[in-house]
Amino acid sequence: MLVALILAHPQGDSYCHSLAERAAAGLRAGGHEVVVVDLYGQGFRAAMTGEERSAYHGDEPICDPLVEASADLIGRAEALVFVYPTWWTGLPAILKGWLERVMVPGVAFRFDERSGKVRPALSNIRHIVGVSTYEETHSAVRITNDNGRRTITRALRVNCGFRTRTHWFGIFDVFDKSDLERREFAGRVERELTELR
Amino acid sequence: MIRALVIYCHPLLGAYNEAVREAALAGLSSAAEEIRVTDLYADGFNPEATTLDSDGRCVLGDDPLLVGYAADLAWCDTLVLIYPTWWAGQPAMLKGWIDRVWVEGVAWESAEGPEKRQPLLGNIKRLVAISTHGSSKSVNMLEGEGGKRTFTRGLAKMCHRRARTTWLALYGIDTSSLSDRESFLAKVERQLSRLP
Repeated sequence: MLVALILAHPQGDSYCHSLAERAAAGLRAGGHEVVVVDLYGQGFRAAMTGEERSAYHGDEPICDPLVEASADLIGRAEALVFVYPTWWTGLPAILKGWLERVMVPGVAFRFDERSGKVRPALSNIRHIVGVSTYEETHSAVRITNDNGRRTITRALRVNCGFRTRTHWFGIFDVFDKSDLERREFAGRVERELTELR
Repeated sequence: MIRALVIYCHPLLGAYNEAVREAALAGLSSAAEEIRVTDLYADGFNPEATTLDSDGRCVLGDDPLLVGYAADLAWCDTLVLIYPTWWAGQPAMLKGWIDRVWVEGVAWESAEGPEKRQPLLGNIKRLVAISTHGSSKSVNMLEGEGGKRTFTRGLAKMCHRRARTTWLALYGIDTSSLSDRESFLAKVERQLSRLP
């Protein structure tokens, strides 16, 4: 299947980048085609513009070629993989902005003409995968709630089909982890994604 | 009398959120000794993380805009956020303000032990979030209300030990009536005039 891997870390030599490489390697070993969307690498702008907000409820809500390219990829993909650092219990602004600008009416959902309510439009997505690094310990993340994970596995998930599966990989307390522990985690991501069907 | 910092985030002139902001300011005018208002879009703030340390953590850097934002946080005792909830949370613009301004040395300092972050914003005793939601309350609960939790459990933790949070939300704005929206504005003004 075609997999869209969305990467949201500004530093090319970051652990998130190596996790993205390992995730992609695992998926390719499993026979899947992977397209990596490196948000900082492509110069993606996080903030929705006034022009986009005005166009949001109209026929052409997309006004930027980078957003168009992502939306086109999402329409063809069968799996979405997100690799990002959890900041302030949530998605980094650039990834949050990607959701806001790409997952617009006609791409992620549509407004029902009669009731005005939101209806899902991502029935092509069979798997949603999250790979995230956390500065906090697992228990601290439980207390504040893992809002990035919730946004992806709940808010985004409800726009997919009933059978869409979610998979989550988190490495907690990441700055206090040894190189060995980091490598083990990356290895697990690669291994388990090889099995994705 | 309070010192209020208002952070406003909406890309469109004439948005309903603008009316919310004006209602909030009208309420604050009787309660506050001084009000500072930051309009993130008008300031041309860049929410993408561009200044980082070698571990990949955001740092404030020397951009005067960000240095000013940090000084405002240290100055206020009441923080008011006004924004539309998109995808269950703060818009990227506002999330970027959190990512880039609430950094080590501004909002917290490192400590040993399970609580890695010791709060530095003990001056903030009251936090108010005012947010509009396209979907109903029940859909938002299904989606997890991440933005509300980032506010009540994330940001508030870096403020005064007994800081209080107030969540003022208008749910289901896409299907709301004019009177729903008007009564929400009245509620915002009333609540903010009663601070602290």
